[in-house]
Amino acid sequence: MTGFSGRHSVHGLLCFLLAGLVSCAIVLAGCGGTKQAANGEKVFRYGTMAYGVAMYNAGMNPHKSYNGWSTIRYGVGETLFRFNDKMQPVPWLATGYDRPDAYTVRIRIRDGVTFSNGKPCDAEAVAACLRHLVKVHERAKGNLKLTSVTARGNVVTLRSSQKTASLIHQLCDPYGCIVDVSQDLQDDTKVIGTGPFLTESLTPTEIHLRRNPRYWGGPVRTDKVIVKSITDGEMLTMALQNGEVDAVQGMPYSSIVLFEGAKDKFKILSVPTSRVFQAALNFRTPALQDGRVRAAICMALNKQQFIHALLNDNGYAAIGTFPGNLPYGGSKVHDDGYNPDKARALLAEAGYKDTDGDGYVDKDGKNLELRWLTYTSRQELPLLATAMQGYLKKIGIRLDVNATDNAGDFLKKGDWDIYAKAIVTAPTGDPQYYIANHFTAQSAHNDGRYRNPAVDALVQQFSGEFNPERRGQLAIAIVQQVLDDHAFLYASHLRMNLVMRNGIRGFVPHPCDYYEVTKDLDVTGEGR
Amino acid sequence: MTDAKALRRIRLFLFLAVVLLVVAAFADHLAPHDPYLQDLDLSLLPPGGAYPLGTDRFGRCVLSRVLAGSTISIYTSLAVVALTFVLGTVTGLVAGFCGGWVDTVLMRITDVFLAFPVLVFAIVAAAMFGGIGGSQFSGLTGAILALALISWPKYARLVRSQVLAVRNKPFISAARFSGCSKADILFRQILPLAIAPTFLMMTADIGTMLLEMAGLSFLGLGVQPPAAEWGLMISSGRSLLQTAPWVIFAPGAALFITVTIFNLLGDSIHDYMETRFGKGD
Repeated sequence: MTGFSGRHSVHGLLCFLLAGLVSCAIVLAGCGGTKQAANGEKVFRYGTMAYGVAMYNAGMNPHKSYNGWSTIRYGVGETLFRFNDKMQPVPWLATGYDRPDAYTVRIRIRDGVTFSNGKPCDAEAVAACLRHLVKVHERAKGNLKLTSVTARGNVVTLRSSQKTASLIHQLCDPYGCIVDVSQDLQDDTKVIGTGPFLTESLTPTEIHLRRNPRYWGGPVRTDKVIVKSITDGEMLTMALQNGEVDAVQGMPYSSIVLFEGAKDKFKILSVPTSRVFQAALNFRTPALQDGRVRAAICMALNKQQFIHALLNDNGYAAIGTFPGNLPYGGSKVHDDGYNPDKARALLAEAGYKDTDGDGYVDKDGKNLELRWLTYTSRQELPLLATAMQGYLKKIGIRLDVNATDNAGDFLKKGDWDIYAKAIVTAPTGDPQYYIANHFTAQSAHNDGRYRNPAVDALVQQFSGEFNPERRGQLAIAIVQQVLDDHAFLYASHLRMNLVMRNGIRGFVPHPCDYYEVTKDLDVTGEGR
Repeated sequence: MTDAKALRRIRLFLFLAVVLLVVAAFADHLAPHDPYLQDLDLSLLPPGGAYPLGTDRFGRCVLSRVLAGSTISIYTSLAVVALTFVLGTVTGLVAGFCGGWVDTVLMRITDVFLAFPVLVFAIVAAAMFGGIGGSQFSGLTGAILALALISWPKYARLVRSQVLAVRNKPFISAARFSGCSKADILFRQILPLAIAPTFLMMTADIGTMLLEMAGLSFLGLGVQPPAAEWGLMISSGRSLLQTAPWVIFAPGAALFITVTIFNLLGDSIHDYMETRFGKGD
């Protein structure tokens, strides 16, 4: 064995010093905490999972992709009408409207509204903005089908090639944010809206906003807003715990309990939304062409148990497409409920029995195996997928889960039997958007190729109906038929939570998930 | 360290490794519950009673899943090591024995693979191969292939260097002159000597492969739910770190213990070889 030498002592000392330096660096890095704003400015720091490239909203130009969600959420832009808590459109940049005929809407623009650069937001500016919108934005073009947009005085007249029953609702979509199109919309920091904030800087992971001193709606309480995209649930939780942010959206359900027990420092504001976690059954899969198999799958899910155990009660059991806070949703329709015994009986009736005792039903010597496709950017979806493996196993169906961020590729190739996703079902407060996009033979998002001529006829009737009560009745009839056909499985509706320290005021969730940062947002030191 | 002490260490860690392998082989019989049986009414029970290590968010027994995970984690790591050993040994043997352009081409290919950062390559390859096979273990096949592809070069280099050292020895010349075929010389004379040092590398690699396999599963590129694999269990339990830490600590501890045992086994064999044969031999 070598003896102790001077060379070893220097080496050991260097190692000790290096270890000490590294330890100090780690300790100091952990010493976070809320940074004090310079000059007594009120700064609001917000961590969210809902912003970023993966959400297609990493920008401020509402005429591009889903960027309008950022424009409106973070207080840069506003629409002509907005939704109240009951998802009914109420005036915002407009004061009202009328319909001279079924294809025309005349909208009166509010006086005294200015863009953040001081230019008036008058009828001409609104018309120019809407003309630009339908020229460059495919989704808006397809939804609105505007043939002309004209301005006279303080009135903007919109003519559409389709009946305008839901046009006002559709103008509440974030792409309808009114921006000054005479400015450069390609530079996100130069997008000029009418909102209480303007963009100072923007990257795919962070937005810096500054108070709009010219805001038409009155004094803005907060000077600066910093929006941080944090895509990891654990990091989001710790960011709020250590004061790096003042509020978060998208916190994992398992972490919310930590803040429920700390009411002296934090508060949780919740609101039911129309976002649903649903699964489309693929009618091209031979086994799923039998209605009894589809019915069995729908009866296998214990929705209440799923929401209680896996979502920590942050959800509402879905019956049909729309939630109960909408006049045509909730218990206005009915499904078969949770009934695993009946599910097994239906499978047996369809010829599926466990003949080899392996726990899975089979027919013609082949086990009933299905492929569940979903993505991971919504935390609930992988939980639903794994839970369904257990529920379907209990009725003898083997489920293989493919939870991948490339779900779109598998969807296009048809490599799936059941496709689960999360979608806002009434983004415009009206059932038109979801029904038209999911239930008919021509629907863009009818992924499972569901076909029912009776439903097509009802949707056709619905599209031309202006009476809101009658529209609601038609929506109920359409959804009920879809449930009877077991084309979709609706698991739960989202209860959205914003978790924040007690010192944050005026930061309130909205059922449509559009409105977050407003002029009423205020920051105090409470809860730091 | 004396020979006797080194041997005692080998015996100790070998015994522990064998215990792990036996537990992994009989995990199905040792598990107190079905590792895949879900019961949401038993979600996130703390350790105790009928569930010594508690339950996860789907109400599954964590102990049973850790035991089931040992089968997947340990035996797939052994499979990866075996595959890299075969690939690397064959390449090194052929390169070292044939020499010339064959050696040059094979070693340049080896260099290309060595140039890739291990985990980055493994992630890309696992994503590419992920669709092979079916069900929850399709990702596992991809992960095995990915890790094998990135790990064989070091075996190839080691075996090649051993072959180069041995091929010009007098007894090889004697075998050649006595009429032995090339295959005979390669597999009966050279191979046993060339692969001896690789056994040490294999032992050390088991721990490494365990960690890399767990890393791929953690990233969603290995096995898919509901498979019980330690890396996947840690990944899916991350958000429960503060509220139900047993869900992560149990598979984490299992991984730590297993990797430590195999690493210490490799270290003890290395120490014995040094003690017995010295560094220069």
